[in-house]
Amino acid sequence: MKTPVSGFYKNPVKFRMPTSENLVPLRLDIEIDGHRYKDAFTWNPSDPDSEVVVFAKRTVKDLKLPPPFVTQIAQSIQSQLAEFRSYDGQDMYAGEKIVPIKLDLRVNHTLVKDQFLWDLNNFDSDPEEFARTFCKDMGIEDPEVGPAIAFAIREQLYEIAIQSVVSARESRLSKKGRRGADFTPVSKGGAVAVDLVKLFGIKSSVVRKRKEWDVYEPIVDLLSNEEVDVLEAKEEKNFRGSISNNI
Amino acid sequence: MDVSRDPNLIPGRIEDSDSELELYTIPSSSRWFTWDEIHETEKTAFKEYFDGTSISRTPKIYKEYRDFIINKYREEPSRRLTFTEVRKSLVGDVTFLYKVFLFLESWGLINYGAPSGGDGGVAEKEHEEERCKLKVEEGAPNGIRVVATPNSLKPISLPRNTKSAGNNVGGVAIKMPPLASYSDVYGDLISGKEFSCRNCGDKCGSGYYRSAKDNFIICTKCFENGNYGEKRSMEEFKLNESSEISAKHGTVWTEGETLLLLESVLKHGDDWELVARSVQTKTKLDCISKLIELPFGELMLASANRNGNSKNVTGIMNNGKQVQSSTSNHQETSTTQDQSSEPKNENQQNGDVVQESPPKRQRVAALSDSSSSLMKQVGLLSTVIDPHITAAAADAAITALCDENSFPRDIFDVEEDNACSAKSLISCSARALEGEGSEMVERSTHPEIDVGCPKDDIPLTLRVRAAIGTALGATAARAKLLADQEEREIEHLVATIIEAQIEKLQQKVKHFDELELLMEKEHAEMEELKDSILTERIDVLRETFRSGITRWKDYPCAKS
Repeated sequence: MKTPVSGFYKNPVKFRMPTSENLVPLRLDIEIDGHRYKDAFTWNPSDPDSEVVVFAKRTVKDLKLPPPFVTQIAQSIQSQLAEFRSYDGQDMYAGEKIVPIKLDLRVNHTLVKDQFLWDLNNFDSDPEEFARTFCKDMGIEDPEVGPAIAFAIREQLYEIAIQSVVSARESRLSKKGRRGADFTPVSKGGAVAVDLVKLFGIKSSVVRKRKEWDVYEPIVDLLSNEEVDVLEAKEEKNFRGSISNNI
Repeated sequence: MDVSRDPNLIPGRIEDSDSELELYTIPSSSRWFTWDEIHETEKTAFKEYFDGTSISRTPKIYKEYRDFIINKYREEPSRRLTFTEVRKSLVGDVTFLYKVFLFLESWGLINYGAPSGGDGGVAEKEHEEERCKLKVEEGAPNGIRVVATPNSLKPISLPRNTKSAGNNVGGVAIKMPPLASYSDVYGDLISGKEFSCRNCGDKCGSGYYRSAKDNFIICTKCFENGNYGEKRSMEEFKLNESSEISAKHGTVWTEGETLLLLESVLKHGDDWELVARSVQTKTKLDCISKLIELPFGELMLASANRNGNSKNVTGIMNNGKQVQSSTSNHQETSTTQDQSSEPKNENQQNGDVVQESPPKRQRVAALSDSSSSLMKQVGLLSTVIDPHITAAAADAAITALCDENSFPRDIFDVEEDNACSAKSLISCSARALEGEGSEMVERSTHPEIDVGCPKDDIPLTLRVRAAIGTALGATAARAKLLADQEEREIEHLVATIIEAQIEKLQQKVKHFDELELLMEKEHAEMEELKDSILTERIDVLRETFRSGITRWKDYPCAKS
């Protein structure tokens, strides 16, 4: 049998989005004078920064938002990009790392619940393509669902990537111990990489048991208007609450 | 990679569940696939699984993925398997699972022939992208190809056995409607006569009931008795009053009926109501189809129409009859005696036309018992074409008859002296042909008056045969005539075309001449211009020399 960890995987991967396209998920939630602008999209960090202001202006114009939003939006994007870039060039993780991704999101009337595994070393992965296939297979017609799913995946991957960098740093600090291939389980609620040996070892089958199928089956629900209203009211309340908490 | 080892992979899906092995259709380009092994193609596509660098990427895992997906699809091959459906059952990186899924789909190992699930364009695009990424050496299954036999290396491009299965074009499953075969379309017509009741097995001669659901056929008898077969209700069945009933009836035409039909057609032209009424035992439709079936039916109808009034037609008929019978006599002489005797006959008949015609007429009258209609037809046919040709045809017919049997020769010999009258009658019909309708009627009725003592020597059957022979010959001659005419026409047209072409060519030549002239003129002008330029140049040079510029500067210019 092969050695579980070979030379290639020993070299830690430098920080980046663990997908084929290095797109950073950005989330904007800005409120000025009672206008609230909430958005989520991806950004290519290698794009010139001048694009940010152009984008902000454009968005404000298209959505007919008050002018102060321009600077706010640009600032928010810039700071998020800066955070992303701060990890640049750092080691992320070494060895194989497959993480579960869990989706639980609502887009307009569509409720999506799903979970699957994502290989962080597979730089062929394409959340957008995955989301497209998902929507096609599940017969989701709302065009906003696909991008939202892709975004949710990216967000989680981004989170994992950051945690990996942090833990890699920590493990470097604590020096040796452990085999290079292993990863430090991340403590804070984030995705814990699956036990590869358990799942992919010689003894186990990659085909799940039939009774588990339902667990891993994606769930798509279409909500009624009333349900959406209730949910939105709740979200609004949470938002207000968090703001007042912050202040 | 021998596909035949795998019973599940023999191409050509068989829908019958009773066949022992379940058969699946896969594209011929995917023949490499076997359950037991992993092929080079797969290894190339999923390199990382075969370099042994990873715990989650091993050949075993790949094979498990692959086998599971294929098996999953084959649980219900008619349904399109989606990736989302598969991944819930498999542990592993979704990206890779998707890659495997697309790989299998693009090779037609899954979803081959399954209805396309939604947007084909997107699928195509994705597929294209995937293919680029995979760096698959061979292309995806191009077009519809299925292995001829398990061991055959040569795919047949248009498989007959995929008629019912969907066809996969370029890796994207597009459900094609099943191809309609000849028997699908014409099945009812072909087997129309032999529908048999599925209940009692009897032939459904007099119509049948067909179930709207599954084409279950029962005969009227069973239907009336309430034997609808299992799980079928009365409402499902639709009566197919087989059109063959009438047709079958119609196909049986007695000789008498046929004759009646022909007669009435001649009398009434294409007034089918009247025709049908006079035939009585047949319907209008039957009459029409029967007449069309007859080899010369149309011709007859045409001539009947042409002549418009029925009296005229009968006139021609009479003429024809006479021509026919007389020519037979005439031929007789020419065959029994030798060729030289013919002129003599000709001379003879010029003399005593009137005298000789009575027996002829009488014979015709005798003929007109049962076969009269037939004789009329023959006569009509004979009049349609040149009388000489008719004569020749009759000649040939009788020669043949005589060769067959010496007995008729004797009979015709007896009639020899009557032969001379033939030509007169031929000339009669010839005139009829020329369009002298009324006159012809007169002439034809004339001999009838002269009908004298019956002299009914020749047996009827022989005469009929001779008549038929004549008719056929006449028709052939007519055809020949037409063909000749066509040929002439064609020749004429070709000549016209050639003339036009020649004219065109001449025009062109003329045009070229003009062009040449123009060119010459231009050339002359050019020469002139050249000369003038030269002189000018010399002038300029002279001028410069005079003004004292050194010579060496001009050298290159002068040289060039």
